[in-house]
Amino acid sequence: MLFKLAWGNVRRAGRDYLVYLLTLTLAVTVFYAFNTISVQVDIAGVGAQNPGMGETLGGIISGLTVFLAFVMGFLMVYANNFIMKRRKKEFGLYQVLGMSRGQVARVMTLETVFVSLAALVLGVALGLVLSQLMVFFTASLFKTQISNFRFFISPSALFMTVGCLVAIFLVTLVFNLRVVARARVIDLMSAGRQNETIKARNPWVSAAIFVLGLAAIIVAYVRLLHDGLPYDGQPEAMQAFLITTLIVVVGTILFFFGLSGFLLKALQGARGLYWRGLNMVTIRQLAAKVNTVSFSMAIIAMILFLAITSVTTGMSLASVMNSTVERGTPVDYTTSVMYYSQAIADEWNADPTISGGEGGVTFAAPTEPVDLMAMSANQTLNADTPDAQPFDLASIAGSYVQVDAYDSTPRGASKPLVTLKDLCDAVDMPLPAGTESSDVDSLGLQVISASNYNDYLAFRGMETLDMPADGYTLLSDMGETVNRVYDAVLKQGVELDLGGFKLHPVQDHVNADASVFVNSMMGMNSGTLVVPDAVLAALDLPPYTSYLLVNYAAGANDPESDAYIAAPRRYNDVIDAAGNIVGGWGAEATRSTTYESVNSMNGLISYLAIYIGFVLVVACAAILTIQQLSGVSDAGKNYRILSELGTSTRQISHSVLSQQTIFFIFPVVVGIAHSVVALSVIVDLIELFGGLTIAGMVSFTALIFLISYGGYFCVTYLMSKGIVRDAIRARHAA
Amino acid sequence: MGKHSAPNPQVAAPVAPTAPATFAHAGGAAAAQQPVLDVRHIEKVYGSRNNVTRALADVSFTVMRGEFVGIMGASGSGKSTLLNCVSTIDAVTSGNVLVNGADVTAMKSAKLTRFRREQLGFIFQDSNLLDTLTARENIALPLTISRVPAREVLMRVEAVAQRLSIKEVLDKYPYQMSGGQQQRVAAARALVTDPAIIMADEPTGALDSKNARLLLECFETMNRDYQATVLMVTHDSFAASYTHRVLFIRDGRIFTELRRGTSTRQEFFERIMEVVAMMGGEGSDAL
Repeated sequence: MLFKLAWGNVRRAGRDYLVYLLTLTLAVTVFYAFNTISVQVDIAGVGAQNPGMGETLGGIISGLTVFLAFVMGFLMVYANNFIMKRRKKEFGLYQVLGMSRGQVARVMTLETVFVSLAALVLGVALGLVLSQLMVFFTASLFKTQISNFRFFISPSALFMTVGCLVAIFLVTLVFNLRVVARARVIDLMSAGRQNETIKARNPWVSAAIFVLGLAAIIVAYVRLLHDGLPYDGQPEAMQAFLITTLIVVVGTILFFFGLSGFLLKALQGARGLYWRGLNMVTIRQLAAKVNTVSFSMAIIAMILFLAITSVTTGMSLASVMNSTVERGTPVDYTTSVMYYSQAIADEWNADPTISGGEGGVTFAAPTEPVDLMAMSANQTLNADTPDAQPFDLASIAGSYVQVDAYDSTPRGASKPLVTLKDLCDAVDMPLPAGTESSDVDSLGLQVISASNYNDYLAFRGMETLDMPADGYTLLSDMGETVNRVYDAVLKQGVELDLGGFKLHPVQDHVNADASVFVNSMMGMNSGTLVVPDAVLAALDLPPYTSYLLVNYAAGANDPESDAYIAAPRRYNDVIDAAGNIVGGWGAEATRSTTYESVNSMNGLISYLAIYIGFVLVVACAAILTIQQLSGVSDAGKNYRILSELGTSTRQISHSVLSQQTIFFIFPVVVGIAHSVVALSVIVDLIELFGGLTIAGMVSFTALIFLISYGGYFCVTYLMSKGIVRDAIRARHAA
Repeated sequence: MGKHSAPNPQVAAPVAPTAPATFAHAGGAAAAQQPVLDVRHIEKVYGSRNNVTRALADVSFTVMRGEFVGIMGASGSGKSTLLNCVSTIDAVTSGNVLVNGADVTAMKSAKLTRFRREQLGFIFQDSNLLDTLTARENIALPLTISRVPAREVLMRVEAVAQRLSIKEVLDKYPYQMSGGQQQRVAAARALVTDPAIIMADEPTGALDSKNARLLLECFETMNRDYQATVLMVTHDSFAASYTHRVLFIRDGRIFTELRRGTSTRQEFFERIMEVVAMMGGEGSDAL
């Protein structure tokens, strides 16, 4: 009997349950589809390239799913409250008719079970379809070929999804039962009559709050644009950034808090507009709802801001890596050695815990660079196993070249001869974003000799440089913001004074392609000065870093050579002829691993960005929808009165549409405004490493988001029209 | 049936600007002219073929300009159905309702909405004010819907509020007013468009006696000073005694009609009570 009652209720209250069902179904679909990632990665052939990639990604996604399930859970409680509010009277009636609270609670539980089951079945069905389609998407994200496509069902994803749904269900149920347990029959029965008290806030105060909020937002924008992001994590910068964040949060809340008051005052100022048609009804209706809704509108604006910013940034980073990886990986294998400075060597020698005291090792600054190819034989393959043997890089190397970079601070001097800041000043440009407080300005540029650079160019198969005795040029493979400075320096023919040598540029722009010394997905050479050999010799500069660039003897990307390098290896000390430790091995990378890590990074970032973004957008839209629907049903009586006064249904619908448009548009507009400002700062940062393109994938994602947000808007409007129509008809039935 | 409506140019005429009646009729007696409302043999049947409820059966009456007419009857007698049919909120099954000579039963929905807006004013038991609007905005609403220029809207609202002594509540919200004030604001809203007829459905139903008296005096003012034609449904004999004429409805038919004539309100009240007692004495529940 209770079963029948519950089933009938769900069918009758179908429209109320629709938003609930829709959102839950979407959640289930997305949860399932994204949690199949480990299987997808397998089928898409990513696993072959990156063993463990699937597990890593799967782990992150399932962790994220738990978090998002929490968000969804509270959203569902909210959605459910909306249904409960409309049905209080009905539950009161059941009790008046003699049903016990327990029975009422059971009816409600059954209803929730029906809807959740429906959402589960629908959601999993859609999720199954979506997950098959996503395999292709995954393959394109990770740039792999689908090895053998087959239909698949992931039990673990299913388990995860059901688990989340059950959790959501339980949370909803607890809240529902609390409503029944607490409510007295008299309250339930009169629920329809008690209207939310409309607190009329002084519109002048509201308008003032709005202006204050707007001012705060603008202040935060200016601060952010001026200060930039605190990349270096310095306490003052972090504190300033936190204050900016706080200002924008408070500003956004104030903005929405005062929005309706401001609109009211602004419109009342325009008499002809305010006292015209239903305009005043529309605006007053908005103002009345503001108490309950303004805070969530502010939250939604912030969430949308987060979603837009993280998705755009993530995907842009991915595309930057894509565009720079080719330039950044010119050879099969690179390795490097970083030399110790005299100061560091002295410090470590004085510290017995590092040097081992008496009979320990001795550190020293090198007099000249070491031969990396020879030194690599100091490394041990399969160390500590019976199979241990020296690492024989020469055995797989075909052609190779070593680039020796020197520190621009001469021995005994305390300041570099030339820094990025000096160059910026010379061409009257500000320091590029992201470098202001990093050590790029205190540390000098590294210096290499013209003959060494020509060796490098010859090795790369590029035209060599003809360097006169008073010539110099600059190298960098960083992004636009840094290279712009170097380009200006070269173009304007800035004269460099290096310890008495007056040098002039021999090129008019930086050749970024001919500036890469290590395989990397992003730019690593932030500034290198090429000077004539005689100048370098005269300056007495200490060695800074040596780079070794190797092409395999067995051909580009030879898998066996890659495997030889990938084998476990112990990096021993870098020593000079006297046996002093003069440096340590730096990063090494093969071209294949760099490409793979770029593709995986790309896939990972895009995946997470889309997953988080989509769920957040759906959650925001669902909250707005539910708020609007409950608002419309609360105001049903008002619409009926309007109809009785001779307002056409079209006019009423128009008024409802205007209200809802404002509610849906403003959070998006504010969210986008925040994002644009934040992104303009972030773009500067990303540009450091390469060009930024917000296109392709990003616009595709934006389109999906817009469609889902817009879809909710349409559903809201259509359902509101239905509620209004019913409210108008109610009079005749009474 | 219902198709032979007399064409009348007045129907579509825009709302005339308020002209506070300067030619007040002594006692508000009906002028000898065309009736404002002419109800001809209307019938209202609910239900399907097998289960027919006849709410109204062959009801006919006329109301002249400036008349204040009451309709009385027990619950279920059909008085509210009658008002709904006359006020175009509900459609008649057969018969004609002519307002200012125009047949509303023949009008289509869009035209009806406009007609309702321009020719009729409504007052209900619960004041039916929009709770989000101030009194001023509530009164102005019918005018703004009809796109009357803002300046004129505000002037007319002021004028009506002055007449009905509700100026001091104009900037208050409904929840800040007493029930009586709310009803008077609703009356002002009904009056502000200068409609052909004002329909009042149990307007005193939710009021205490003091506020009911104030509201009824307000109706008298409207009727006397604005020449407003008022049709009031009530089951309260006291309220009915403020009218010029009372129609008694029973079982969907007009049972009888009482005219006040020159008698005082007290005398009229006693005559109404006699009819009520007689109707009640026949077994139907008391009014």
